[in-house]
Amino acid sequence: MGEADTKGEIKHLIIEALNLDGMTVDSIGEDDLLFEEGLGLDSVDALEIVVSLEKAYGVKIESEAANRESFKSVSTLAALVDQLRDSSQS
Amino acid sequence: MTSIKHDPRIVITGIGAVSACGWTVNELHEGLLSGSSSITEPSRFDVSGQRTRVAGEVPPPPDSIVQKISEWETLSKSDQFAVAAAVEAVEQAGLSSGLSGAGLFFGGSTGGMFECEEYFGRLIGKREGRPAIRLQASQQINSPADAVARHLKLTGTVQTVSSACASGTLALGMALDELRSRQSEVVLAGGSDSLCLLTYSGFNSLRSVDNRPCRPFRADRQGLSIGEGAGVLVVETLDHALGRGAVPLAELLGAGASCDANHMTAPHPEGEGAAAAIAGAIADAGISADRIDFVNAHGTGTPQNDVSESRALHSVFGGRASALPVTSNKATFGHLLGSAGAIEAVTTILSMIHGVIHPMPGGGERDEQTELDIVVGAPRTISAGSVAVSSSFAFGGSNAAVIIGGWDEGSTE
Repeated sequence: MGEADTKGEIKHLIIEALNLDGMTVDSIGEDDLLFEEGLGLDSVDALEIVVSLEKAYGVKIESEAANRESFKSVSTLAALVDQLRDSSQS
Repeated sequence: MTSIKHDPRIVITGIGAVSACGWTVNELHEGLLSGSSSITEPSRFDVSGQRTRVAGEVPPPPDSIVQKISEWETLSKSDQFAVAAAVEAVEQAGLSSGLSGAGLFFGGSTGGMFECEEYFGRLIGKREGRPAIRLQASQQINSPADAVARHLKLTGTVQTVSSACASGTLALGMALDELRSRQSEVVLAGGSDSLCLLTYSGFNSLRSVDNRPCRPFRADRQGLSIGEGAGVLVVETLDHALGRGAVPLAELLGAGASCDANHMTAPHPEGEGAAAAIAGAIADAGISADRIDFVNAHGTGTPQNDVSESRALHSVFGGRASALPVTSNKATFGHLLGSAGAIEAVTTILSMIHGVIHPMPGGGERDEQTELDIVVGAPRTISAGSVAVSSSFAFGGSNAAVIIGGWDEGSTE
């Protein structure tokens, strides 16, 4: 699966998990900030995203990986998921 | 009314309320004055399997309130009630900015229990929707107070008291202590609770709920009606209020508390604990019992409470008790449990401001065992500077009472 597919999937997961009524995959830019001044998500939303990603991709996101840098945007989340999937396959 | 016992004197300069009557103090006052009950069949959750199907449910919020509170969607119902009432209270007090460092004393009994029930209902497939983690995020009993503190940036002491139905009145007593000791010059006090299955089913299982809107002190009463909502008061030292040009709405003259230490759910049959709390509040105010002009009663409408409370009032007021006007707001908007004392302090202050004792809706003859002058059907007028007791008695035996005095031009003397 390509990186673009992962980003699209993650956008879809975020919209569904956080019940973001009125938002579509196209309305979230892959480099848009997800928290505070961006989409305005908070730490409870972050927890919801962790649970959704773990369930969807069969990965385990440890506390140290769930940091501000990797949760900055859809792009950084996709990179994190790809990295975790790669390491679990190797 | 002047309390000569305490320096500083403590006054209330802002009030806010959310109830089945609506999302503002004005709607609360109008609802109470109307003489009709806001207790109806609840829609928040399925009550078809319950023994009774009535509650005082808060209507949907108006856009004007939702728009004021940017974090609205992240808050539980009880958090929303608390923040909305607090915003109304501080706006009235003229303190929308300038509360930094202030504290908050709050009563509550179930916090975000309703949302928690929703979460687990969804998790096991009994309710529709995803079990969103957000539903569990506000489950603590202290959540409403913390939500108010975050919204208003209150950085002083923020404390939640949870002694069942006495919580809201106990919180007012805590605020009084904080201000009298000059640890603060201005604080917020209040309480918030929302309907949830835990309390709805619990009181139904105990068979302490009426199948009609509750009818306190009436001979045919069968129990209480559960309500929800919040009451918040801005409380400050008189010199602080006058120093910033605020006009007090009322004076918080005294507080008292006690415990029956007797039974898990039943009040002491002779109302000994209740009497001790009321007498303690009157003594704390430094006035004689003769100065009390009316009683905003706990008045749940359960057969046991109303007789026990009547005996307590007779114990404190002697022969005057049968001529002392007594009302219970629970007949209008239900029993707000951990926030009952907070919203009933607000309504007592409304009585002082408007010069009326709000009537209890519902017909029926007074229970002869209660021997009280109950205010039913139509409001009674009272004079400026009247003094009232507002009391709350809890499961577990915790009792609390506060003495509130009206404010008029002569009150500063």
